[in-house]
Amino acid sequence: MALMVRINIKYKKMKLKIVFFILSWIGIPAVNAAKITVVTTTADLKSITELIGNDKVDVSSIATGFQNPHFVDPKPSFIIKLSKADVFVTVGLDLEIGWSPQLLTSSRNPKIQKGSNGYVDASAGVTLMQVPSSINRGEGDIHIYGNPHYWLDPVNGKQIAKNIYEGLVKISPENKAYFEKNLTAFNTKIDPKLKEWTMKMSPYKGAKIIAYHNEWCYFEQRFGLQIVDFLEPKPGIPPTPTQLVKIISEVKSNSIKVIISSPYFTSSSSDVVSNQTSVKTIILGTSVGAFDSIKDYFDLFDYDIDKLIEALK
Amino acid sequence: MHLFKPTGLITVFILSISTDLFSQNDSIAKTDTVLLKKIEQQMKGTEPASQPAQVRTAPSTLPEISVIGDFRASYINHVKRNFDMGINEAEISLQSVVDPYARADFFLTVGKDPQTGKFGLDLEEGYLTTLSLPAHLQLKAGKFKSAMGRINPVHPHTLPFISLPNAYENYFGEGINDEGASLSWLVPNSLFYQELVIQVTDGPIDNPSFSRSVGNTYLELAHLKNFFDLSANATLELGFSGITGANKFDLRTNIAAVDLTYRWKPVQFNTYKSFTWQSEAYFSNANISKDTVVNSFGMYSLINFQFSKRMFFTGIYSYSNKPYSAGTVENSYSTTIGWYATEFQKIEIEGKTTTSNMERDQFQILFRWIFVIGAHGAHQY
Repeated sequence: MALMVRINIKYKKMKLKIVFFILSWIGIPAVNAAKITVVTTTADLKSITELIGNDKVDVSSIATGFQNPHFVDPKPSFIIKLSKADVFVTVGLDLEIGWSPQLLTSSRNPKIQKGSNGYVDASAGVTLMQVPSSINRGEGDIHIYGNPHYWLDPVNGKQIAKNIYEGLVKISPENKAYFEKNLTAFNTKIDPKLKEWTMKMSPYKGAKIIAYHNEWCYFEQRFGLQIVDFLEPKPGIPPTPTQLVKIISEVKSNSIKVIISSPYFTSSSSDVVSNQTSVKTIILGTSVGAFDSIKDYFDLFDYDIDKLIEALK
Repeated sequence: MHLFKPTGLITVFILSISTDLFSQNDSIAKTDTVLLKKIEQQMKGTEPASQPAQVRTAPSTLPEISVIGDFRASYINHVKRNFDMGINEAEISLQSVVDPYARADFFLTVGKDPQTGKFGLDLEEGYLTTLSLPAHLQLKAGKFKSAMGRINPVHPHTLPFISLPNAYENYFGEGINDEGASLSWLVPNSLFYQELVIQVTDGPIDNPSFSRSVGNTYLELAHLKNFFDLSANATLELGFSGITGANKFDLRTNIAAVDLTYRWKPVQFNTYKSFTWQSEAYFSNANISKDTVVNSFGMYSLINFQFSKRMFFTGIYSYSNKPYSAGTVENSYSTTIGWYATEFQKIEIEGKTTTSNMERDQFQILFRWIFVIGAHGAHQY
């Protein structure tokens, strides 16, 4: 009898395990049923979406913070995330042209296709820089709509937050007041932070620097820096010996103290310049998660500004 | 000759130090009020609500257009004309969303007739893909590359080698590219990516294994793709395909295929280094008469190693019978070095040797220059 009971219990446990396995296999969401599922292309958009959506959203990012957002590999596993998404937030301006259109088509999810309510272009309303008057690939990997690295100006962060807020309201109008409260909180936090960052950077207004890639123009303008040249001779073209000789000359003639690079570029080219001059190379975060201490959009500027000041002192 | 005199450098150095010292000593104290006012004004001017509308690139309903050039040169032994060169193909792609429910992709090819040397236009692919079917289904209709294995679905210019592996070429020629319908289903599996594709097409006109039947025999294909993220940097893909259709004897050929791909690509430095190991095997069962069945086999295995931002190495080994000759045994080895100038241009050079128990050994050196103008195409994974 006892044996029969044990077998019965074992049988019931096994049945539960099988049911659990099948449920997990077919992907029935057990916990996040009430939340809005958001997939963002970059970690910065994820951070801002989390700040606006808070506990009403479940957000994941396709690109990591230490990855070049131009060159994300469109792994099929991202399609699973996108197929379940209610909202898709993109940097836009063709930054993700090499990978996001393919993922969106493969997602088979009509809710997040371009033109749908769940498609949020975070660049809407942002005043763009370096908008080309004509397109010529001889100038390198230029973007037809303008420089797409606009999130590196915290003022544009406010516009991004507004766009995400509007996207979330379209999907969940019943939570409008909640999202609005969070948007206000975001703006209330970023305004004094912007003052703090600008104050910190004010002694270095006009400081000449070199950058690896042309991705800092918004940051440069906001904080009054002057990027003299780039290690890349043209956007997307790896540094050449001729360009490095030119950079060495510029560093010497302008007493440039700093080269700024990003986590996804190797240091070999900047090392050459550093060895020939006294210039320091610093790696700044271009996105949330670039370094462990950059946990949200505010940390990104805290980190970059502190790092820059340390190098420019 | 020195570019800068030491005295000049010292002066610049002293000036820069004095400027820095000056700016650091009293900057915050003196500019505090003025600066704060400026910042506040600046911030007011950049409030989202008051953003001036910026004119962006004029919208257009034209599809994305690109043209891909494929220039080749080759040396092949044991043929009448050992050296050859010329434009192998020009591919014109037109891609766009049709409406909220579908997108369309057209690939026209301008290829050279090897007999006449004249160029002719052909439809390489032209299909409609749905975007909004329920239950994670996607329907494709038109002319398209069959979803078999890893080589067949992609365009040759995107491959990291020039000459197709012998096993693939012996069974599928330049590939199965056919007219019909394709239904794919994203299996609701939250543990790993799974996609099932079912395709029914007319049957290729000129293919080593299959022919277009005059009767009601169509080419039927099923492919199950399984994709696993082993880590952030490593993935594994395992695919199973089954194809059945009419052959040139107006009987049936069945092919089972399996593909396995391991890829390592560090997320942080994915533009600098990567490694891929990819293999496919084909098991063919061809009925060539009512009483005769030929069972044959082919496989290839390749490694592709990116050792700098622009340099790639590919090595391929292939073992193969032929669809109607299990006694034929071909072994081939090839190595390719690729230099990728940008995303829009690459140069490759390849050496390949093939030994066969039926034909003379062959050696070839191939050169390929691929160049793209127009819209930026999506990358493949």
